[in-house]
Amino acid sequence: MTDLLQLLFAGLSQGAVYALVAIGFVAIFTVSGVINLAQGEFAALAGLVAISAVSSGLPLLAAVVLAVVSVALVAVIMERLVIFPVKRMTTLVSLILTLGVSTGLKALMLLVYGPNAEGLTPLTPGGFSVAGVSIRYQELWILLIAGIVSLAVYWFYERTLAGKSLRACAEQPVAARLVGISLTKASLISFLIAGTVGAIAGVLASPIFFTSWESGLTLGLKGFVAATLGGLISVRGAVLGGLLLGVLETLTAGYISTGLRDAVAFLLLIIVLVARPAGIFGRSAEARV
Amino acid sequence: MSLEVGRLHAGYGRLAVLHGIDLSAGDGELVAVIGANGAGKTTLLRALSGLLPVTDGTVHLAGTDVTGYGPEKLARTGLAHVPENRLVFPSLSVADNLVLGGYTRRRGPAAARKEARDRAMALFPRLEPRLEQAAGTLSGGEQQMLAIARGLMAQPRVLVLDEPSVGLAPRLVGEIFSALGKLRDDGLTLVVVEQNARAAFAVADRVSVMDRGRVVLEGDPAALSTDPRVSGGFLGGGFAADADADVDADGAAAAEAPGGTPVAPGSGSGATRATERT
Repeated sequence: MTDLLQLLFAGLSQGAVYALVAIGFVAIFTVSGVINLAQGEFAALAGLVAISAVSSGLPLLAAVVLAVVSVALVAVIMERLVIFPVKRMTTLVSLILTLGVSTGLKALMLLVYGPNAEGLTPLTPGGFSVAGVSIRYQELWILLIAGIVSLAVYWFYERTLAGKSLRACAEQPVAARLVGISLTKASLISFLIAGTVGAIAGVLASPIFFTSWESGLTLGLKGFVAATLGGLISVRGAVLGGLLLGVLETLTAGYISTGLRDAVAFLLLIIVLVARPAGIFGRSAEARV
Repeated sequence: MSLEVGRLHAGYGRLAVLHGIDLSAGDGELVAVIGANGAGKTTLLRALSGLLPVTDGTVHLAGTDVTGYGPEKLARTGLAHVPENRLVFPSLSVADNLVLGGYTRRRGPAAARKEARDRAMALFPRLEPRLEQAAGTLSGGEQQMLAIARGLMAQPRVLVLDEPSVGLAPRLVGEIFSALGKLRDDGLTLVVVEQNARAAFAVADRVSVMDRGRVVLEGDPAALSTDPRVSGGFLGGGFAADADADVDADGAAAAEAPGGTPVAPGSGSGATRATERT
């Protein structure tokens, strides 16, 4: 029982990180049909920027803010340089383009930060233990902040005019333009959201899971699987998908074999794509975003 | 003139569709543009609202040269386009669809936004009980009403509509067109592209007949409905695959019904007395 609780808790905090990365995929995909393979690199870059800022003497909180802001900026610049100039964007073209960006970012991170994996200082070090389940404070921070960010993103899409205008672009791009919504601006905003959320995932995960120049690959793929579980068009689906994936991973690692940990995500992806391409949490086209 | 189009050319890439369209609509005037499939009606509206680039010619909106404006800027300047197939935002509520219709006026006075909304609700009271419903769950007719109401929320000077009658039951066509008539009577300028010529003739102040990217006939509906080329091509003959202006289809002569509502001869094909003038 204690084992199960321990695994569930670890899975949820891991899943919360996946959920944030998944929200980034959803934010971009719904607006422009772009699948952003550099999403994981956003998280890795944020972790590395924060780590190097802390080691150069900046206070932790300032380093985290710096990391999030600079990665958001990278995402926006990426949209302007790589996505915006393309006249006829298809999902395939977007895969190739963003794979290029992802590779470039990885090379840049290797060049600047070197090959070692490091962990950011936790927001609150240490932990405690309840009924035999050991809990790190950082894990609580992950759950809390990921929860707040997810709710904020959800609220943005459901309640604000700007969020609704992004949904309008996703659903009826022509009609959105006719009511005066700029699709290019919408695409820029979607990258800003994805960059910010991805960066937050990166700095939250770094103290526990460590960050290196290539840690964006697994994180990005897991986030993509989580988003796909939710049908790639629903923030709620992405969050549930992330949590589910995190829990399944730790349960597999705990009860079957740690070696199978990473296989779970892809097994799940194959099953979902074959059995329910709209995602297990997808409620057809009605439940977009 | 609220809308003045001069020698407009537009098309898709190398395919030129419009070959010098002249069209004008004064304040509070309802101009119908009719024509067979492929005449370029939708292309004309897409060029007017900036979805398609204008290759030559000019568009003036209330005296301002708006040639080459993109759709976002045109919406702000005062042209609202109610697109073909309605294109409501399906997962958003009816109320949110309306709010987004007023997107370009989001920083304007709240009173003006409320007034636009009240007018739209008064015009289509059926939408009122459905405000919280997702727009995708509305019937076709209600979606058309919502699309028009959404256009009105932009507080436009000119409203252009693409085939508002398509796919609707005759009674609903009547309802939609009488609403358009009311808007005209309130001083709004409307350009309606239609294949349902009968419905369009009943409310239009002026009619332009398009064929193969040109305006081939222009005039007031009463006069045009007696024109054999029109009645043969559009009013009585059902579908006119080839509405060549020189072909006099069956030499049909139009009759005029009492009350000024044009009726085509031998209108067995569709006895849709679509609408009454309000």
